Amino acid sequence: MDTLTLLGRGFAELFQTQELIALFLGLMFGMLVSILPGLGLVMGVVLALPFTYSMELGPAIILLTAIYMSGTYAGCFTAILYRIPGEPMDVPLLWDGWGMTKRGEAAKALGWALVAALTGGLVSTIVMIGLAAPLKNLALSFGAPEYFAAVFFGLTTVVALAGNSLPNALISLCLGLLVSTVGIDATYGSERFTFGFTELMNGVPYVMVLVGMYGYGEILSKLSHSSSLKAIPKQDSFTTKFPTRAELWGLRATFARSTGLGTLLGLIPGAGATISSFVAYGVEKQYGKRGDKLGTGIPEGIVAPQIASTASVAGHMVPLMTLGLPGSGATAVILAAFLLKGVQPGPFLFQSEATTLVVYTIMASMFASVIGMCLLGFLWIPLVVRALLIPTGVLAAIIVMLTLVGAFADRNSLSDVWIVVVFGVLAWVLDRYKIPIAPMVLGAVLGPMAEDSYTRSMITFHGDWTIFFKQPLSGSLMGLALLSLAFPVMRNLFGRFSRAKAKPLNAT
Amino acid sequence: MPSRLLALAASVAAAWFLAPSASFADAYPSRPITFIVPWGPGGGADQVARMASKLMEPELKVSVPVVNMPGATGQTGHQKLLTSPSDGYTLEIMTADTFATLAQPNSRFKIEQFIPVAVLIQQRSGLFVNATGPIKTFEDITKGDKELRVAITGYNSPDDLSIKLLGKQGAKLQGIPFAEPGLRYASVIGGQSDIVYEQAGDVRSFLDGKQIKPILFFSDKPAAGFEDTPYSGKLGIDVKLSQFRMVVVRADTDPAIVKKLSEVLSKVAQSAEYKAYLAQQYAQPDSYVGSDQALPFIKGWLAEFTALMPKRQAAQ
Repeated sequence: MDTLTLLGRGFAELFQTQELIALFLGLMFGMLVSILPGLGLVMGVVLALPFTYSMELGPAIILLTAIYMSGTYAGCFTAILYRIPGEPMDVPLLWDGWGMTKRGEAAKALGWALVAALTGGLVSTIVMIGLAAPLKNLALSFGAPEYFAAVFFGLTTVVALAGNSLPNALISLCLGLLVSTVGIDATYGSERFTFGFTELMNGVPYVMVLVGMYGYGEILSKLSHSSSLKAIPKQDSFTTKFPTRAELWGLRATFARSTGLGTLLGLIPGAGATISSFVAYGVEKQYGKRGDKLGTGIPEGIVAPQIASTASVAGHMVPLMTLGLPGSGATAVILAAFLLKGVQPGPFLFQSEATTLVVYTIMASMFASVIGMCLLGFLWIPLVVRALLIPTGVLAAIIVMLTLVGAFADRNSLSDVWIVVVFGVLAWVLDRYKIPIAPMVLGAVLGPMAEDSYTRSMITFHGDWTIFFKQPLSGSLMGLALLSLAFPVMRNLFGRFSRAKAKPLNAT
Repeated sequence: MPSRLLALAASVAAAWFLAPSASFADAYPSRPITFIVPWGPGGGADQVARMASKLMEPELKVSVPVVNMPGATGQTGHQKLLTSPSDGYTLEIMTADTFATLAQPNSRFKIEQFIPVAVLIQQRSGLFVNATGPIKTFEDITKGDKELRVAITGYNSPDDLSIKLLGKQGAKLQGIPFAEPGLRYASVIGGQSDIVYEQAGDVRSFLDGKQIKPILFFSDKPAAGFEDTPYSGKLGIDVKLSQFRMVVVRADTDPAIVKKLSEVLSKVAQSAEYKAYLAQQYAQPDSYVGSDQALPFIKGWLAEFTALMPKRQAAQ
């Protein structure tokens, strides 16, 4: 069956009670977490995961995907209207968004954000659905060296793009990789870092690392610099004013650039919505027509990051479903939801008709999510924004309870609850020392895949490490990985060089 | 770790309070029975446990909730059984893979720690190849003109030991471990491996889709559903390790309780619904082994498995 027919059937499947309820709840919940400062979309999917245990596969994934999608959008409201970034990805958007609000153009700013989210979401979803079939076929020719190279590329990208300090990002990544080695090694069965505890024999479940670091840890950080609002800052209206056709045409280059960038960054494991948002803003500053004016309150500064963060969702979902590679925190949780249902994402999702239908229902739900979140944002945002009034303490208590109960419910194990607490405290400590946590989490998620595919490559090719560079696909991925590692170093060197060159000029 | 000590203390206390007595066994079961599945939901062990639980409930007149506790080749869930009271209110489904770890020189578990109540399902393992690939028959493997890659679950598993024995037949086989079943199947369909060791029931969709085909079964008689495929017994190859899944309880459980459970499971095995499930899984129609025969059955399996292990390890 061709893609369009399948997608049509996916839509038919989507418009059923359970699926629609999951979609609606997901969108509302995603909006809620993304406007609350300190709670991000990753925490949203983490908190929702236990509720999917008793659901069927389709609605479960639709719920999480809807949270993921709307979580990239709703934060723009609080960023633009109140200068409160709901989560880090809204920070670039805030610079220009707040600038426009100060000039009394808040409605216009919201309009731009809406158009941007709509464009980014729809275009990238279309592109990714088109790519799903070829990627699925490519997945079958993915041997161990290719998997290793893809994962390696993902790990180097997150190191290169997360945070300002390369050493700090590397420290974080290595901590994550270290965590992933705990337990019985999958190939030879030797026990590593178990210290005799049966609980550690199966390793540290990466979902618990995610729940701990993004859920529990975020709450600790939030409490340590309390930011409870006494009242919502006064804002006359929530009206949205759409940009005119001429204005849209004027920004066509920004639209094209950021959509392409967001989709592309999504394909790379490691670059989540936040990184996409920052990179798109950076690229706009560098190459945009009015790049020098960015930050003063121009629409480009809203459009670029908003498009890229929403576009990255589809970019991440499709590699997850075709290759089984989770590229971001949110997709790692969605992978866990798949596995809990006994379904391994990968080319075999397309093996049986039932799971193929589920995949296309999920893709249809991504379209519906994009349109739905824009509609809901347009109509309901004044209501949702009131959630900012919930006292921090109450919110923190609810979230801590949900994370701990969720951790226990996963496999009825109290040791998982302790793992969540330990990693939550660790995340808080790392945060204090300005060490980014994204590389560590991704290291813990992708570490076992990296090790497994590396060992298998070595066994298959009798210990010949050059195999990673010899085969065309893995060779190009490894090349890209090395480039991405060299990028921050070069940027630093180049930066110093140009500063040094600029100095004498200033002196004169 | 205090919690573990606590659990131990609790189980000792519970064992003392609930010391087996005739009246207690008569009343059994009076509350829900926990059914531990030491593997994730959706897998083979989970499916058979849920099927058995559903069919046991009307017989026992209590609910039998399934609890998944995956990890460490099933050892996490097994540990849970051994630290629960031996009152018959905790059952576990144990698979051949977990059972095989008992043969390891430094195994943390012993066969004396549990009683097999019944073997519920037995499936023949076999070698499967890409249906359109160069390997057509088992003879193509034993020619030994080039090294062939076999996708297996892991080293020192029944998979690994079975294919090692084929080396004696002239085959040059290299086992490549894939813990993830999906990757194992993909490697054969995508061409990274030449052969995959598996049970037919687990790869049913690929067999139905004519993507892979069996070329040998490890069995002393033709495998159910694949009567035309050669089997090891027929070719004079001395390996017939099957995949099996059994219900176990703690060793010191009251014999009257074991008897009651065994009777119920025997009824389950005779039901039409269970028989249809076995056929769907390409399992042996005579899979069921009752409590009287289960211990000799698993001891025989373990002896065969141990005999296949490399001498250096087995001697330790």
